[in-house]
Amino acid sequence: MTVIDSSRPPAGPARRVADSRPSLLLGEHSLCPGCGEPVALRVLLEVLQELEIVQRSIGVVGHGCYGSFVRIMDVDVLQCLHGRAPACATGIKRVRPTCVVFTLQGDGDMANEGLQEVLHAAARGEKITCVMLNNGVFGDTGGQLTATTVLGQRTKTSLDGRDAETHGYPIPVAELVAALRGAAYVARGAVSTAAAVAQTKRMLRRAFETQLSGAGFSLVEILTMCPTGWFVSAREGPGYLGDSMERAYPLGELTR
Amino acid sequence: MERELVVTGIGGQGIQLLAKTLALAATREGRHAMLSADYGGEMRGGPSRASVVIGDSPLRALPVLASAWSAIVAHHRFSEPALARLRPGGPAIVNLPLVDPSSLPPMVVYGVDAAAVAASVDAPQAIGFVLLGAYNAVTRLVAPESLAAAMEELLPPYRKQHAAANARALAAGAVAVRPARRAGAEVAG
Amino acid sequence: MTLELLEGSEAIAASAIAAGCRFFAGYPMSPFTGLLESMSRLLPAVGGVCLNAESEIEGVNMALGAAAAGARAATGSCGQGIALMQEAIAEAALNETPFVVFNMARNQQDYFQSTRGGGWGDYRTITLAPKDIPEAVEHAQLAFHLADKHRAPVIFYGDPLIAQTRVGVSIRPLDFGPLPPKDWALDGTRSGTGKSRQIWTWAMGKATDPGPGPDRHWRAIAAKFDAIAKVEARHEQAHVEDAETLVVAFGSAAKFVEYVVAELRAEGHRIGWFRPVTLWPFPGEALAKATAGARRVLVFELNAGQMLDDVLIHAADRSAVRFIGGVSIAESGLAYGELMDAPVIRDRILAAVGEGTRS
Repeated sequence: MTVIDSSRPPAGPARRVADSRPSLLLGEHSLCPGCGEPVALRVLLEVLQELEIVQRSIGVVGHGCYGSFVRIMDVDVLQCLHGRAPACATGIKRVRPTCVVFTLQGDGDMANEGLQEVLHAAARGEKITCVMLNNGVFGDTGGQLTATTVLGQRTKTSLDGRDAETHGYPIPVAELVAALRGAAYVARGAVSTAAAVAQTKRMLRRAFETQLSGAGFSLVEILTMCPTGWFVSAREGPGYLGDSMERAYPLGELTR
Repeated sequence: MERELVVTGIGGQGIQLLAKTLALAATREGRHAMLSADYGGEMRGGPSRASVVIGDSPLRALPVLASAWSAIVAHHRFSEPALARLRPGGPAIVNLPLVDPSSLPPMVVYGVDAAAVAASVDAPQAIGFVLLGAYNAVTRLVAPESLAAAMEELLPPYRKQHAAANARALAAGAVAVRPARRAGAEVAG
Repeated sequence: MTLELLEGSEAIAASAIAAGCRFFAGYPMSPFTGLLESMSRLLPAVGGVCLNAESEIEGVNMALGAAAAGARAATGSCGQGIALMQEAIAEAALNETPFVVFNMARNQQDYFQSTRGGGWGDYRTITLAPKDIPEAVEHAQLAFHLADKHRAPVIFYGDPLIAQTRVGVSIRPLDFGPLPPKDWALDGTRSGTGKSRQIWTWAMGKATDPGPGPDRHWRAIAAKFDAIAKVEARHEQAHVEDAETLVVAFGSAAKFVEYVVAELRAEGHRIGWFRPVTLWPFPGEALAKATAGARRVLVFELNAGQMLDDVLIHAADRSAVRFIGGVSIAESGLAYGELMDAPVIRDRILAAVGEGTRS
């Protein structure tokens, strides 16, 4: 083995032979430091590439901080009305059944505004893959309570912490969807640790494989950090997610 | 030349079906037809009204008829709105004895005891077709074969066994229809 | 040309399919239900999809998705259900997704809903108002053509008479002229190429290929609708040249007015009629010309006065305009009341004519 002489500067400019950023990302995101959503986007795009389904992929993106992803995803994309992505995705998939159709929605989008849409799409067994980025807060509008905000969580509309008596109980979307026969694959992952990210990526892969096999509806709920909405620092985000969201929403596959 | 028919009776008398049969018969003959229906929610005994317009060119008639040339009156109940639209002098078929011919405006009135005629040809449920057969015999709006063919075409699979009885009812109505006597009014000639 | 005796709803469904409609989603509501059932029966045979959506909101968003993917798609309801679809109609107008909305309305009270819109933003909606089933058959196809021509949603305004009357009709595909290709439609083929597509009301484009952004885009959309207004207004009129009295009506009411006016003319009245065929763009210029010589402009519609606003805006002389319509609903709430009837309309016109001229 030869030893590389590094005492002198390189002879020429570096030649890029590999890029760890998915080529489907057209630019930088503009979300908060410590936000989990860009991590989720990244693994989703990697899965599309690894499955070699990019050139038949169509995304339907809802409204939230992640809404800006329509600018940086190199995928044919429809930015749709709040909550309605599963309905729009149904229309797309039914007229282009060979395309791979996915939705990208936050918890406010899917569990609040759009609970009906996702439940019915799942019940109908639509061959689409819905992805819910769950941070338990309406981040884009400044951090209000959503249907998935955990008990005790302070938000702009639950300043003393979510209290069952006043605000009711959070809704576990993955469990609701998994109860429906049309849902062929339902899983919940997180992006708070490296291991969780890897597991989430596997879940996304299985979800898209489910769509490709024609078995039915697939949903991956991904717990994401929102330090700004949670009033914690970026560094504390992952730990806070583990202590709060993960206790209310267990990770794992709910159907196979 | 457009011909309008208003049909009025109660639910269960086959009003809607007889109107539809006539409209389909005309359509199958290549002519223009329009059919409107008006009925309440009850399956039996409520008001049932229909109107048919037949012509040889695209119809001018409105979906709510301003006036009508002819009528089939299957029952006296709920019949006032239909009778109010009739232009005097056209033909009217009444179902005897349920309808009193002198209750009509000045029309050329014919009558047939549809229930008795239907029973006599072993088609007790086909009084609507008896009336239709009678009407067509008087007005000759369509060919009798067209009526029979339309009747068969409209039978759903689970009613096909009634085709022969219905055909008998159409034919018997055509034969049994008579001018109806109106107290103090002219008899149809 | 063989005639088929079809209920209006069936005829409209068959005609839409003849125009290439291959996706339909809707929620049952009288008198729209017949159209949904007809589509449900007819679409699978031609390889199309009909979904009984779980709400009107889902139905219109399904249609939006299907249209975004390039299909000729439609939804529908009656006015009460169209009310739920307002956001999506505005969205489609602003993100340029063409689909057809069949308002099989219960009456004429949805004129404002169709022409003023209850959605958000600066948009208009082309609205066709057929007067009878033969015209409905033509409009069912024209609606798709106009939607694709202008990349915008189009409303078809029907009613119970059009939905439920049966008439002998002949359905065949109609050719309204060439259309641009749908190269904007989402099909996945440009994903990963750096030139992937985007349908977005804000039109900001992608990081590597920026779009106009909401300011320039929404100005362009507004300008587009201004341009549409200049070319797509349609109307019909008769006996305008010598008319002292001009009756203005739309949809089925116009068919009744036409019938009554013919009768009155035969009795010597100098009377004519004017019918907007497109409720938007309202044929204002044509109405101004038609009303130029009239002493009386009588607006007849079965509502509390909606098209009346547009007549007042465009009539040559506002003071000549008189409203002779009104709300008129059947006991059931689901159909027209007594006002949709030739003798009643005749009486109203004669009463207005008898009242004398404008001073």
